Amino acid sequence: MESSPQAGGVEDKGLKKNAVSYLSSIVIGVASTAPGYSLAAVLGFVVLASGAAGTEAVGFQAPAVLLVSFVPMFFIASAYYYMNRADPDCGTTFSWVTKAMGPHLGWLGGWAIVVADVIVMANLAQIAGLYSFLLVDAQSLADSTVWVTFVGVIWIGIMTAIVTRGIELSARTQQFLLGVELLTLGAFAVVALWKVYVTGEPGTQHIDASWFSPFAVDSLSTLTAGMLLAVFIYWGWDSAVTVNEETEDSSEAPGKSAVVSTVILLLIYVIVSAAAQAFDFSLLSDPKNSDDVLSALGSEIFGSPLDKILIIAVLTSAAASTQTTILPTARTTLSMARAKAMPKVLGDVHPRYLTPHVSSILMGVLSIVWYVGLTIVDENILFDSLAALGLMIAFYLGLNGIACAIYYRHELLSSVKAFLFVGVAPLIGTAILYYLMIKNAIDLADPVNSESGDSWLGLGPPLVIAIGFMALGVILMIWQQIRAPEFFRSKLETAPPDLVARAPATAGKES
Amino acid sequence: MANEIVVGYDGSDCSKAALDAAAKLATELKSKLVLVFGYEPYRVGGEIQDHRKALEERGEVVTSEGMERAKGKGAEAEVALVDRESVDALMSVADARDARMIVVGTYGEHPLKGAILGSTPYKLVQLSETPVLVVRG
Repeated sequence: MESSPQAGGVEDKGLKKNAVSYLSSIVIGVASTAPGYSLAAVLGFVVLASGAAGTEAVGFQAPAVLLVSFVPMFFIASAYYYMNRADPDCGTTFSWVTKAMGPHLGWLGGWAIVVADVIVMANLAQIAGLYSFLLVDAQSLADSTVWVTFVGVIWIGIMTAIVTRGIELSARTQQFLLGVELLTLGAFAVVALWKVYVTGEPGTQHIDASWFSPFAVDSLSTLTAGMLLAVFIYWGWDSAVTVNEETEDSSEAPGKSAVVSTVILLLIYVIVSAAAQAFDFSLLSDPKNSDDVLSALGSEIFGSPLDKILIIAVLTSAAASTQTTILPTARTTLSMARAKAMPKVLGDVHPRYLTPHVSSILMGVLSIVWYVGLTIVDENILFDSLAALGLMIAFYLGLNGIACAIYYRHELLSSVKAFLFVGVAPLIGTAILYYLMIKNAIDLADPVNSESGDSWLGLGPPLVIAIGFMALGVILMIWQQIRAPEFFRSKLETAPPDLVARAPATAGKES
Repeated sequence: MANEIVVGYDGSDCSKAALDAAAKLATELKSKLVLVFGYEPYRVGGEIQDHRKALEERGEVVTSEGMERAKGKGAEAEVALVDRESVDALMSVADARDARMIVVGTYGEHPLKGAILGSTPYKLVQLSETPVLVVRG
């Protein structure tokens, strides 16, 4: 700025900045989690997991598992919410954990986000590839791994291009797409339940109260396996909590949109899963359909050609989640590069599109390598990687919970609210997630408990994938520390005094 | 006042063309240039603050180059980095300063592409109350 001393630097920090309308923050909250795609990708596996692990038995408690899984996410969201409300400038996982728990854990938290992104992109691409063919009724191509992979790779390319080019869907387009998605899922549930209760088609069964009871799940292993998968379907919601919304009175109404988007999500998941089970449980629980339960059920429920709208809903959902998946990850590596925790080039922004393009493209390339590589080895391992994904997400979300409590440790006793929501809730969230993570890691050690049934080094593939990625992360971290030790000497920080009190959510009531 | 000329400047070739045209006008009209670099990271998710800082730094580098360029053309100029999407940034600066006009460059893209992907000049000419001069790069 030497050449322009008279310039005010950054002008106009004014009123509109970072503020999002109430409706669009609800839309962002729900769309970030991509309910249509999440259900398509996970519901079949949750139903399978809700049976006794390692046996052919299946359970009816998928809706209960989806409900319970929300609990840890809710508690972690409290950490996100307070970290962000108190200081919107402090970033997310990488920055928070580095400040609160040190550079090494911060680095690994950032790494886990990258790995989760690479894995989920592969799965997203697989669903997108498959549903693209189902949309045009090309069943034979949809059955071909080669063609699905080919189109899946094209999808990754398109999604990467969208993020690199910085194409933002307007708020109105987002609202429209989400509206279509919700209506479609709603119609799916209504028609399914109509056929169950009114026309009483053969093969259907009435909804039972026990479906919603986590206590009816037959074992703890079963519950935790299902929950780890289901944590994935709420993934994205947590970061949406940090979107600052524009409200009439921010001290009275913060987070209202977070509450509404949560209720919408819970309703979609529970109603759709219950309706799907009631309509045709055998189809839902058939492992052959696990990777595309919604399309299988859709054609049964709607018949042709109406079943296409369900496929469109899943495809738009997958596309919509792109921006909320790749972009935050690319920003994480950008942030790491700026902190000298990763190679400098990852911190570059595109001169015209102003996006973190090097990071975005790298994510796309890694996802393609992972996707194609895994498909060549064994397609079933792609599904195993979903379980590995759950381990990754649990790891870094859990770090946030601890980071929040540590960062604010001097403030926790300042009010009851601070103690509960900044300290206790995040830690409980972490405890649950880490319990799930460890319990599952132990269960997944047995190759029998994997989709592929393969044994890698005597362990199940999901565990090997997760451990392998984390080991790779540690190696890269050490390498980076040797190359550029500066970041790894960064000092711990705590929250400045009164930061919690300044957060509107606490300030409103306590003072 | 109403004598300042607002220029959208991001260092691209077409924004250089816009700056050159604006500098010429400014010297003729005895106006002052305001180089606007608008940016706004997409709100959704991740380390937004670092992204914002990266863009701010980028803006500082680019606009100081622009300042040199303007000076070289004999125009008086200043810089405004605005944390808003470029169209909003240009219009808000023009409004706040009651500017004479806004000058922007265009890539000469296919009009349909500009319409679909939302090019800055396309939006600006529809929305701005300040007169807009579009210069092809």
